[in-house]
Amino acid sequence: MNLIRAELERLGARRFVQLMVVLLVLAFGVTAATTLASSHTPTAVELAEAQRQVASDRRAMELEHDRCLARDRGDVPRTADDFSYLPDDCSQLDPALREYQPVTADYLSGVFTFTRQAMPLLYFLVAFLMLFGFLVGASYIGADLNSGGVVNLLLWRPRRLTVLGAKLGTLLGAVLGLSLLASAAYLVTFWVIAQIAGYPGPTNAAFWASLGAVWGRGLVLVLLVTAGGFAIATIGRHTSAALGAVAAYLVLWELGGRIVLQILEVARHDQLMLVSYIGAWLAGEMSFWDNTPCPPYGSCTGNYTLTWGPALTVLLLLTSGLTAAAFAMFRRRDLT
Amino acid sequence: MTGVIEIEGLRKTFHSVRRGRRVAVDGFDLLVEAGQVHGFLGPNGSGKTTTLRALLGLVRADDGRMTVLGASAPERLPQVAGRVGAIVESPQFFGNFTAYRTLRLLALAGGVPVSRVDEVLAQVGLHDRGHERVKGYSLGMKQRLAVASALLKRPELLILDEPANGLDPAGIREMRDLMRSLAANGVTVLVSSHILAEIQLICDHVTIISRGRRVAAGRVDEVLAGFDRDECLVRVDDLPRAEELLLAAGLTVTGHADHLVVSGVPDPATVSRTLGEQGVWVRELTPLRPDLESVFLELTNAPAQPGVPRQVDGSAPHHEPGTGRMIDLDTRGVDA
Repeated sequence: MNLIRAELERLGARRFVQLMVVLLVLAFGVTAATTLASSHTPTAVELAEAQRQVASDRRAMELEHDRCLARDRGDVPRTADDFSYLPDDCSQLDPALREYQPVTADYLSGVFTFTRQAMPLLYFLVAFLMLFGFLVGASYIGADLNSGGVVNLLLWRPRRLTVLGAKLGTLLGAVLGLSLLASAAYLVTFWVIAQIAGYPGPTNAAFWASLGAVWGRGLVLVLLVTAGGFAIATIGRHTSAALGAVAAYLVLWELGGRIVLQILEVARHDQLMLVSYIGAWLAGEMSFWDNTPCPPYGSCTGNYTLTWGPALTVLLLLTSGLTAAAFAMFRRRDLT
Repeated sequence: MTGVIEIEGLRKTFHSVRRGRRVAVDGFDLLVEAGQVHGFLGPNGSGKTTTLRALLGLVRADDGRMTVLGASAPERLPQVAGRVGAIVESPQFFGNFTAYRTLRLLALAGGVPVSRVDEVLAQVGLHDRGHERVKGYSLGMKQRLAVASALLKRPELLILDEPANGLDPAGIREMRDLMRSLAANGVTVLVSSHILAEIQLICDHVTIISRGRRVAAGRVDEVLAGFDRDECLVRVDDLPRAEELLLAAGLTVTGHADHLVVSGVPDPATVSRTLGEQGVWVRELTPLRPDLESVFLELTNAPAQPGVPRQVDGSAPHHEPGTGRMIDLDTRGVDA
């Protein structure tokens, strides 16, 4: 417990951590301030007009669907001047099944609508926290290995796995705590902005469940990335090892490898990219299109989906593999 | 043997892709008994720091047996770590932390009362500057901080690797006084240093390592006595006449420009009597006693011998004339 307390204090006292927290608060403040400055509470007239337009859109969608069904029944013969497209399958026009549903916020100009903006804001926060976790995780152990902090600590507590485990545990606990606090404060702030200078939008259980799921998955991702940064820096004995490894991976594989795979016409090569799994995990699923494996003729669309389950498996395997390697190497390494 | 530190047959070889294989410690033995202030000497690269790192569990030994305060190292080191204070080579600290915070974190991690921090800062002369960042410290101040970190636990055994590094003459004297006072209070001290005069002043026992092997060990005065060739320096007006008389008396004489060195004379009075009886009057007669520096240089700077590859520090093992055995005053030449 003393070791964790000491590590927590050491982590909190690091200037890089403090700088990253300041950047987080700054990014948060700037986003909130610009949102607040550029939004206004919609007047009753604006709301009524927006709701009227939504109703009009919905009515048009229903009419189109009805027209399609009538065509199928043969009630309305197609005339020469009817150029509007009707699909073979009328369910594609069924308003209840459509992915896009017109909402009031679509017609509220200059109004911050929480239900519309919460998800992109959350993605931004998760991205920042991932960067925060990776850099702090890598520099925390990297700087300690270089500054002699680890050696000093081992002279006091000559249990390598305990020391490294305490460092990783403290780091993950601190990052989780900060992420929970930051994301809660972030969402509450924008909720309040929507209440006082914007439009909250129609929030229902499905909305909150969807937001909560992305939030939870985002926090897991932040922890995985933090552990990954810590592990790579431990293996490479330096903060820059983690930065270099990620930069090399992105340039060589995500960019270069992707080009080579495209030239070689490797089917569904997005499945070989870590970024696809990160996206699939965070969003719940991710759709890709690649008709390379499709025969020349037929109904093959080339669409395929990565869901969060396999994405989590890949991310967990990678992170646990890196972490296990880091612990195994640290256990046997000569600290010279 | 029973001692506070026992090392038998320690071996360590480093393997590097770039630098290949390097034998750092090659069957080294060390015995430090309770209450000793034990000097640990050796040229750069002779294996001193590797030995201390292996003893403290920072480097994995390839072979050998080590115990610290009766606990086998490194396996049972955690059981006695609280009673051992150590600094190894040039200690490094996190530059942005103050000395106070550095020690406070170590105290927290080691379960030492934080009130002890002020005591040790005062003990090493850093009390007034304890709240400054370490990156602003001189090398000598960092060295004092390192010693403070070693003293924090009120150790029974203090292992200091080059504690006088970077210290000014006053600092060296303070360090000497500190070690003497610790020893007077029953702390066993193992100190490695290049400042041989300091070792001779502070230490009662000494072990000399060269090329990873022990070449001399025992009480300082006994080690010096082992190299005492009963020589004395003689100055007279008529050097050729004096040399002739001394040779005729069966003594070994080496002539120099303005003096003679006579060897094998346990009692210098023999020289003055021999010369005086023949009317040659001695102007100066000085017994030449070996100091630690001359012994150290003799033991560690010998040229490589035919068939013996030069290793580590480039020096060769010292052999007692005619015996082919290494000097070992604890065991009187057991190292074949």
